[in-house]
Amino acid sequence: MSETVTATSSDISKNDAILRTEGVTKKFGTLTAIDDVSIEIPAGEITSIIGPNGAGKTTLFNLLTGKHEPTEGRIEFRNESIGGLAPHAIVDRGIVRSFQITNFFADLSALENVRIATQAHYTGFSPGDFTRHHASLEEPIEDAREVLERVHLTDVAHQSAANLSYGQRRHLEIGIALAADPELLLMDEPTAGMSPEETHEVVDLIEAIAEDVTLVLIEHNTDIVMELSDQIAVLNEGELLSWGNPEEIKADERVQEAYLGGGGRE
Amino acid sequence: MKSVVEFFDRSQASPTGNELLSGQGRLAVLVSIVVLALFAPIANAYEPFWLNMLVRMMIFALLALSLDFIFGYAGLLSFGHAAMFGAGGYAAAMLITDVTANALIVLPIAMVVGAVVAGIIGWFSVRAHGIYFAMLTLAFAQMFYVIAFTDLPATVLGLESFTGGDNGLFGIQRYETFGVDFTSTLLYFYLTLATVALSFVALLRLSNSPFGRVLQGIRENEERIQFLGYNVQRYKVLGFALSGAFAGLAGGLYVPFQSVSHPGLLHWMISGELVVMLLLGGLGTLWGPMLGAGLVIFLEEQLAGFASWEIILGGIFVVVVIFAPQGLAGAITSVRNDPKNVVTNAKRAIRNYVDKVRK
Repeated sequence: MSETVTATSSDISKNDAILRTEGVTKKFGTLTAIDDVSIEIPAGEITSIIGPNGAGKTTLFNLLTGKHEPTEGRIEFRNESIGGLAPHAIVDRGIVRSFQITNFFADLSALENVRIATQAHYTGFSPGDFTRHHASLEEPIEDAREVLERVHLTDVAHQSAANLSYGQRRHLEIGIALAADPELLLMDEPTAGMSPEETHEVVDLIEAIAEDVTLVLIEHNTDIVMELSDQIAVLNEGELLSWGNPEEIKADERVQEAYLGGGGRE
Repeated sequence: MKSVVEFFDRSQASPTGNELLSGQGRLAVLVSIVVLALFAPIANAYEPFWLNMLVRMMIFALLALSLDFIFGYAGLLSFGHAAMFGAGGYAAAMLITDVTANALIVLPIAMVVGAVVAGIIGWFSVRAHGIYFAMLTLAFAQMFYVIAFTDLPATVLGLESFTGGDNGLFGIQRYETFGVDFTSTLLYFYLTLATVALSFVALLRLSNSPFGRVLQGIRENEERIQFLGYNVQRYKVLGFALSGAFAGLAGGLYVPFQSVSHPGLLHWMISGELVVMLLLGGLGTLWGPMLGAGLVIFLEEQLAGFASWEIILGGIFVVVVIFAPQGLAGAITSVRNDPKNVVTNAKRAIRNYVDKVRK
């Protein structure tokens, strides 16, 4: 399984589309949440998805990560269809998400929160996974410590997640996703509810992560979007309104009207 | 045996600080086992009835332990654990009557039967969540109850009798293993004590294994664990089957001891009583529910003369749920951590409750 992934990974070089959707549509009853969206996410870059509330951004993430199955259309990761796969199978292929509302294991320590994610690469259902003590597997713990280092949480590794400050929780949220070792990381509003100072820290973190992971961001803070993104996709009422680099999006009148407020507010 | 040695090997304490039962807790478990082992001959000499009750307490402690592994630790509320208990019991009854009374053969088969029944119930039920899961397990368990009660297999296979219908299977002899006859209650006590102790060690190890950690993750946050690449359904079914194996083991100990296997073992009343034992004892601690089971059986035996002993059990249950939501285990832990302020803490708990009611 992992061999085939590595084999195909050499086929996709930087800037080729690592993820592609073709005519993806999602209907909930009579509501069309996502309407015929076709986008390409280039490998090694940062793509942002923006749009007003209810535009379908999180629904799109849910489709890409297997939480929902598309009603129509095709989703390809590394030129292989992943539409309709279970969430865990999609994670196995290298697509991982972080959540808008911090979604962790509140009673467990920060380190254990991350360790449970790194453990997925080392364990399964072999007899040893039932009979050995989890602490006798050292690699997941080492990996977890590295991840905590990356997200600046080493000092609070042994505190339970519920006791962390808001900013630390958001870092942990990103850390858990990183621990799953993504090739493509989907981040749902990583700076939601943060002070300017905390936001700045997260932006630095995102830039560091982007050095070896393809990123897709959902983000409301337009300054951050313009600063970080290589591409921007604008969703409005479930449809892809516009697509381009930050300069093009800034200049696009339809986007100004729908989202940026028409008055050039950034 | 290796796991028994490792049980007291503290070098493997979890560096992430989420070890289930560590340090003094393990010592307390060891002391309890030794005390029970020493107490048995004394009880046998003076009041054999006590020994009988202790065996039943330990068997139900094992059953509560098996449920706690999947409910308290993995968060799946099974209202159908009686099905696995009964299935293990019937398997033991049939094997002892027709094949062998060797405990080393019968008990493992009872575990397998429990695991298979749990696997079937689990496979159909794990897609549902919360109360729906509980209701599905309850419905499946009642189906197994009806199958045993109406002796459906006999009708289908054209046999004269298979489960014995509403009478059940009776006259089941106790185990005899390599020349050791467990007919004496004292020896049966030691067989039960050893089995329950080993099961506790095994389930504790399973809880602290990589597999067990994922189960705990499912309890804490099922959505997130799924998005980390874990096949949640498979973990749940396997966890449920493993829990069922130990419920089957409890059944395999209970039936020869009582010498009868009857449909009542599979009835939802047992499943319900089990949930009471867990809440009374303290969910997710493994040892708490065992205490809870012991307490319930004790009250049942001691208060049976009052006819409506359930009222007293109900009263105790209400008090524990209100003042010690973490059950006996939570109360014991808080007393141990803060022995000086027991009275203050108790007063505070009562004041909090009164305030809540007045609001």
